[in-house]
Amino acid sequence: MASPTPVLEVRGLVKEYPGVRALDGVDFDVRPGEVHCLVGPNGAGKSTLIKCVSGAVTPSQGEILIDGEPASVGNPSAALGNGVATIYQELDLVEDLTVAQSVLLGHEPRRFGLLDVDRMRRDTAAILRRLDHEGISPRSYVRDLSPAAQQVVSIARALSRDVRLLIMDEPSAILDDQEIDTMFGLVRRLTADGVGVVYISHRLDEVERIGDRVTVLTDGRTVATGLPASTSVDELVERMVGRKVERLYPERPKAEGEVVLEVRDLRRPPEVKGVSFEVRAGEVVGIGGLVGAGRSELLRAIYGVDARDAGEVIVDGNRVSARRPDRAIAAGLGLAPEDRKSQGLLLDWSQGKNVSLSDLGRFVRGGLLNPRAEREAVREQLRVLHTVPDDPDRMVRELSGGNQQKVVLARWLLRHCRVLLLDEPTRGVDVATKAQLYQVITDLAAAGLGVVVVSSELDELAGLCTRVLVMREGELVAEVEGERATELELLRHAVSGTPAALQNEADHVTEEAR
Amino acid sequence: MSTPPAERATVSERLQSAGSLRDLLGMPSGVKLQEFALVGVVLVLILVGAVLEPDSFPTTDNFRAILTQASVVGVIAIGMTFVIATAGIDLSVGSVLAASGIAGGLVVDEGTAAFVLAAMGFGLLLGMVNAGAIAYGRVVPFIATLAMFAIARGLALLMSDKEPISLLTADGVRWFGTGEIATIPVSVVIFLAVAIGGWVLLNRTRYGRYVVAVGGNREAARIAGVPVRRIILSVYCLTGLLAGLAAVLLSARLASASPVSGNLLELDAIGAVVIGGTSLAGGRATIFGTFLGVLVFAIIFNLLTQLNLATEWQQIVKGVIILGAVLIQRPERI
Repeated sequence: MASPTPVLEVRGLVKEYPGVRALDGVDFDVRPGEVHCLVGPNGAGKSTLIKCVSGAVTPSQGEILIDGEPASVGNPSAALGNGVATIYQELDLVEDLTVAQSVLLGHEPRRFGLLDVDRMRRDTAAILRRLDHEGISPRSYVRDLSPAAQQVVSIARALSRDVRLLIMDEPSAILDDQEIDTMFGLVRRLTADGVGVVYISHRLDEVERIGDRVTVLTDGRTVATGLPASTSVDELVERMVGRKVERLYPERPKAEGEVVLEVRDLRRPPEVKGVSFEVRAGEVVGIGGLVGAGRSELLRAIYGVDARDAGEVIVDGNRVSARRPDRAIAAGLGLAPEDRKSQGLLLDWSQGKNVSLSDLGRFVRGGLLNPRAEREAVREQLRVLHTVPDDPDRMVRELSGGNQQKVVLARWLLRHCRVLLLDEPTRGVDVATKAQLYQVITDLAAAGLGVVVVSSELDELAGLCTRVLVMREGELVAEVEGERATELELLRHAVSGTPAALQNEADHVTEEAR
Repeated sequence: MSTPPAERATVSERLQSAGSLRDLLGMPSGVKLQEFALVGVVLVLILVGAVLEPDSFPTTDNFRAILTQASVVGVIAIGMTFVIATAGIDLSVGSVLAASGIAGGLVVDEGTAAFVLAAMGFGLLLGMVNAGAIAYGRVVPFIATLAMFAIARGLALLMSDKEPISLLTADGVRWFGTGEIATIPVSVVIFLAVAIGGWVLLNRTRYGRYVVAVGGNREAARIAGVPVRRIILSVYCLTGLLAGLAAVLLSARLASASPVSGNLLELDAIGAVVIGGTSLAGGRATIFGTFLGVLVFAIIFNLLTQLNLATEWQQIVKGVIILGAVLIQRPERI
């Protein structure tokens, strides 16, 4: 069968930065109407590749063909003109604009030289209708929308131009399972119209669900391109890491120690409505639930990032002040926030300064910091966590997501905290690094810390935790022993009360299990 | 990314491998290049001065005059570096200087100590008002200090009845303006002490690290345990206090505390900090750069005066330098 001209064809693409070959000969193509998944570990060059295609980065060598025609490289507006649209992981919408303003940004309809506001609303509404999301009003402000709805707006923006190729960078990372289903439906609608889609994800199970073909990128090279999407997850992982990952999860930690964290009737309406639980030294307690169930808000209220309305937090027998993270840290708490880039790290600082920030007091002699002692202590923690590179002077911005997360963990290791609160610790991290992080978390528990893990990936909680608490609409609704926890069981608790949704999800999970 | 930033990275890497100087100065690597460039600018300016005015420019007396001139803006610019490091701004320093000088002048008959304490105390008090409005009232620093800019000037005029207070008979006070310690003018010694103290505070103490952390990422700093509010409070108190100190140096030199002194001083201080390489967006600060920035302004001022160019020209040159410095620093990607 003569295949039609690919929407996108990439040949021998190379991108060199001083000292690094981010891309080292990439071949890749996308046919009209197909979803081509792109997978690979962090730092494999996925982002660089899509930036080359979208014109944000100029490749050093190689060819990019759009609809068979050589594209002008390093020119974002030319790429847009050729019908290439990109939806980045960090949604690049302006919060203060309305939906209509966002969708038509840069090519607003005009009348007598002025914006044609009515037509903007009509055009936007038409696109949203095409996406089956009439529920989103063109007049709403972007800031008032959920992340899922914001993503729909991003897609609508792509469609407002004549899109031939849609690049989606980890679109599922910010969505819960139901929203992912909706997004998949959207993608299929686009492919039915002949649009080619590049779909990047760390969640390998999605490849089979949404993809037609899959390409594995490692160390800037395409190690396998155009595999059928039915390729098993195990095989994909093997190709990514170049070996078999023996076990994703280490042996499950047991709860043996005394209670280190006690949370009593914590309230911060509307997200957290009276939550009580205990964590013992040496155990990893998972908190699962759908997006919006109040999990992150619970952690933030425990830690004092957000004020709480009522309730107590007791660490090692000491009550913790309500709105002071510095007091929480003094009491023995440590938090790895959900968004490590905007809340966890100073991106323009070195790893070393990021690690020592919460424990500078120990390096002070006679009122002055001792930089040498600081470097040594920091380097030791980075080594313990196998952070690559372990050079304390390396800028955090240059590190991969997994290593950035390790920098946050190293901070609390250095501080000798008693209880670690981890919010989505493996988000945006590849499988091999995930396995490392699971090992680190388990080791920390074994060393006597109490660990609380919030995650949207229920299989992760089921595999990792001593026990899992399930949160729904601001309350804890179930506690499941880790040994007995399964993704399906946790999901049942997380969504119960909405039978239809449950049935859908349950079918889904059993389907995957098969 | 295009190629220029990559090349810059290698250059700064090369400079880093020179190592010891960077360690000695304790600066974040991004700031480096600019400081080397500024040292070059200072040397070129001195060379230009020596060529244009070989008789009067390159003399010990003239360098002493330049540094004395620089000391008033200098002590304020050191404080301003801390404020800007937190991503803040203090527009009120010139007016606070005037009000502090008057506060000192009102009690100068009680002695030198009373003058100094009153000036610095009043500066600190006005700084605390700024700090409270910003840290507790959550007023944007630009607006809070703009309000103080007006209030402090008004206070200075009100307290002095619009008349300068003469310090001609206050010999103790005038020592700050005319005295010397080991042939170095007292005000220069004080400026150098403040600069060195500021450098140590910023680069070698937990407090300094916290200040830059607050400017780099306020939310991340808070979650890491930095007492953000206290840090923000403290930097505006610091500029207030140093504006009071600058008032002592200036009024001592002029033998008069004037309610209209310190006009446009905030421009000089902020300009010196910015051309020194401290980021207005916060998170990156260099005292050494600020010191050089102050010197650049002072030398140019001195040179233009010797060349008999009118003060209008000095303003224009100053503005052009600030604009040029910011253009050089602007991020690669917009």
